[in-house]
Amino acid sequence: MTLLAIIIILFAGGIIAWLSERYLQKGGRWISLVSLLLAALLLVNYWSYLGTPQSVSGGPWWDSLQAAWIPRFGISFHLAVDGLSFLMLTLTIAMGIFGLVMTWNDINFRRGFFYFNFLWTLAGVVGVFTAIDLFLFFFFWEVMLIPMLFLIAVWGYEKRIYAAIKFFIFTQASSLLMLIAIVGLAYIHYRNSGQLTFNYNELLGAELTANAAYWLMLGFFIAFIVKLPALPFHTWLPDAHTQAPTAGSILLAAILLKTGAYGLLRFNLPLFPESSMAFAPVAMTIGAISVIYGAMLAFAQRDMKRLVAYSSVSHMGFVLLGLYALDTIAVQGAVMQMIAHGLSTAALFALVGALQHRLHTRDMQQLGGVWAILPKLSAVALFFAIASLGLPGLGNFVAEFTVLVGSFRSNHWITALAAIGLIGAALYALLMMQRVFFGKLRNQFESPSESGDTADLSLRESCALLSLALLLVVIGLRPQPIFNISEPTVTQAIAEIKAVAPDQNLLSSQSQRQEILISTGDKSP
Amino acid sequence: MNAQELFGILPLLLVSAGIVILLLQVSFWRGHVGALATTIITLVLAGISCFWVAGTLSTGASSIQVTGLLLVDHTSLFFALLLLLTAIAVCIMGYSYLRMRCNPKVNSGSYPEEFYILLLLAMLGATTLVFASHFATFFLGLELISLALYPMLGFAVNGDLSPQKEQLQSLESAIKYLLLSALSTALGLFGIALIYSASGSLSFSGIASHMTELSQTSTLFATGVTLLLISVAFKLSLVPFHIWTPDVYQGAPTPTTALIATVGKGAVIGFLLRFFSTLDLYESQVLIDMLSIAAVASMLVGNLLALMQTNIKRLLAYSSIGHIGYLIVAFIIGKSTFGTEAVIYYLVAYIITTLGAFAVVGLIADSVEEKVLNGEYPENPTLNSENPYQCDFYRGLLWRSPWLAGCMAAMLLSLAGIPLTIGFIGKFYIFTAGIEGQLWILLASVVIGSALGLFYYLRLLLIMVQRDNIVTEEPSGSVQIATSGNLLLIILTGALLVFGIFPQLLINWINAL
Repeated sequence: MTLLAIIIILFAGGIIAWLSERYLQKGGRWISLVSLLLAALLLVNYWSYLGTPQSVSGGPWWDSLQAAWIPRFGISFHLAVDGLSFLMLTLTIAMGIFGLVMTWNDINFRRGFFYFNFLWTLAGVVGVFTAIDLFLFFFFWEVMLIPMLFLIAVWGYEKRIYAAIKFFIFTQASSLLMLIAIVGLAYIHYRNSGQLTFNYNELLGAELTANAAYWLMLGFFIAFIVKLPALPFHTWLPDAHTQAPTAGSILLAAILLKTGAYGLLRFNLPLFPESSMAFAPVAMTIGAISVIYGAMLAFAQRDMKRLVAYSSVSHMGFVLLGLYALDTIAVQGAVMQMIAHGLSTAALFALVGALQHRLHTRDMQQLGGVWAILPKLSAVALFFAIASLGLPGLGNFVAEFTVLVGSFRSNHWITALAAIGLIGAALYALLMMQRVFFGKLRNQFESPSESGDTADLSLRESCALLSLALLLVVIGLRPQPIFNISEPTVTQAIAEIKAVAPDQNLLSSQSQRQEILISTGDKSP
Repeated sequence: MNAQELFGILPLLLVSAGIVILLLQVSFWRGHVGALATTIITLVLAGISCFWVAGTLSTGASSIQVTGLLLVDHTSLFFALLLLLTAIAVCIMGYSYLRMRCNPKVNSGSYPEEFYILLLLAMLGATTLVFASHFATFFLGLELISLALYPMLGFAVNGDLSPQKEQLQSLESAIKYLLLSALSTALGLFGIALIYSASGSLSFSGIASHMTELSQTSTLFATGVTLLLISVAFKLSLVPFHIWTPDVYQGAPTPTTALIATVGKGAVIGFLLRFFSTLDLYESQVLIDMLSIAAVASMLVGNLLALMQTNIKRLLAYSSIGHIGYLIVAFIIGKSTFGTEAVIYYLVAYIITTLGAFAVVGLIADSVEEKVLNGEYPENPTLNSENPYQCDFYRGLLWRSPWLAGCMAAMLLSLAGIPLTIGFIGKFYIFTAGIEGQLWILLASVVIGSALGLFYYLRLLLIMVQRDNIVTEEPSGSVQIATSGNLLLIILTGALLVFGIFPQLLINWINAL
């Protein structure tokens, strides 16, 4: 029931925020904050599961809720949460609160409708991370798009309509392929077993011919890597990110991109183990190329938001690489990268947004020497830029290092190629720092005539940003608790794959041993 | 003809009685509201009688054969009920349309009551068509719809209060439809003649009994069915028989457009389902191939051409071509019970959504027309943003009239097949049907068509939320519509959401057939 309550609170909060616009001028943001805090409180319910070993709780799911929805097709309203979902839910709610607090005063018109869309996007994402019925998953997958579309199209910057339509058509057209794959999977299962169902747990056992599985896998894969985004389908991302309002960029970068990675790990790998294994080299190559290509393009940008957007392509390439290394350590790294990238990129977008709010530009050729007028903001930006390039001691380093270590055993050459991307990351992150914050102050910013405009970070913004920074440090220094939470899901997914590959027993036992090393690491305090 | 047979066609009898009563009523006492009331009462009674007949059907025999011409069964009763409900919505739209444009108090040459007589005639044709089990009733029904539609298409001329341009376009659309419809009828008749000469029978069951010797050998029969299909494809505006659609949709009074887009197509689909399943034409590969080609072409051409439209009625016309293309995908696998269910569900979704979209467009145009007649608005708008049929008029509508724009947005999302709306479940049915029949090429076209469709639906949706003119926001920018219109929109939007979120309700009804 807790899961349903979270989703209902977010949906209802959105509607109330919209309706209240007429009576409370700025009430919408308080209503949003209260609903998000309530959702966070509900999430704390699951705290008790964190310590318990998996065998005690019985089955992989911590909590689930099932109700008949469309019995005609064997579709049920089935939500469930496990370690991976819990991590993603926490990230979602936390980034929701962060985005809301960072843009507390930014929205000047149609506030009610803005907070409506903001909360509905979050509600859709919560649904995506907890839906266990494939039809329900697709339902939420679509529900989160429409409010996001409005966020970009109404409150975005200059080319917002173009960006919004591009974003929507890319994700929607690809998700239709996924819908066909979902229905195809359910239909084949129905033909084999006589039972029509969209339940994930039952479809896991579907018997597919190799050919059918490969095509179905591709249907899912394309939908997920469009969202991720990986190389051939990434072009919507820079536009959407750049044109979206700050809060929208934060949601996109921190949460929406993660739904693609989550889908790959939750659905693609366990549902189609054989074909995923056959496809792994291709997917890893796409991941590695995305890493390098994203870094190169980020390096070439003038617009700060585009730079951060392309850096996302690069970072999510690591996720793809790690997931398809089909190795427990690499997948664990990918999960860590999802979280670390969520935190650091959300902060970077928030900072670029704050900078634009104050200086009215995000063109790096017009900026320079900002440190002199905005010291606090610049220092925080330095921290997150360095986090993003993967400085040891911060979350991103742990994530990227683990991905590379894990993938190296699967495929040396591709991993080596991807590692080059780390150099690119250092280049673009430092270049951005140098161009924007160091150097000589440009004339037009020298005399802060409108003193209110160029005020440094307020207490509210500082607190929000510093708490993210703190989180990154904590994750960087002590990542083991997070590995422990996601471990059951990851090992199960990998076990499914190893089960179909007897010839790789050697590799499997090797990774088992590594796993034990990692999971025993924290038992000794 | 015994009592049970008479009882079986009670909906038809009630509609006929309504026509006679309305004719008498109008000849003695003219009154717009009175005519509307009689029409709605007739339609409601006919609708209730559908339930009544269905109730006796479920206790006794599963179908009633009435004189070899009509066959009443659960499916046809469902279609009849659906079409009658649609007609009630069209009535309400018609009232809103005629109230200002056809006002006898302003111009004594206005006769708004005739609209309802024609509407009932068209409904008599449509219900006959879905009950038809013989080519005589098929032809009667089809022609009754068309004959009633010609004057309805040209109805803007009545009363002479509509703008000159609207009257001209209305006449144009009537003439176009008349000519092309006559041509298609001729083809259809020729087809029926060929079928008769090949099989020696005009009733569907009679032809079906000869099917075993006919199906493979007779070119005569195949040609006949093909010609008949062409005539039907014209009514459904399947590509390449779609040329008339945009012009007719654009020029006609909006309620008539809604009628032709929903009842005109729904009745024909009802007939096709019965015709194909009685004769088991799904076995004929040639026919299925032809239908497939028409479906692919409709999805692609309809959606591609819709991309280029700025007139919202033309846009909806092209989009409806695409939607009938989707529907044919489900129709092709119709031999299974699932295919029939998918066709009916998609048709319901299509009717609710199309009706809603045209209702919003029509009601907005009516409120603008009211201002024109009161002299508050330019009669011949030069700017696109002042013409209520242009997309530009809808710029920022969400901020001016949030409620109307919300309804329109729901309709557009449903047309685009986004979850929470009935259109999504409809599309889900199409996908499931396509996968069951393993029609991969058709499915690929559905995906491409939907992606193209998204583009223009979204463009319109985003035009509605554009924030540009919030500075110049004036109270006069808002659109006020009548209570009856609001009620209609509430019901349609409610149905769209309820059946979108809880589709099982509707599925149960369809399966209870």
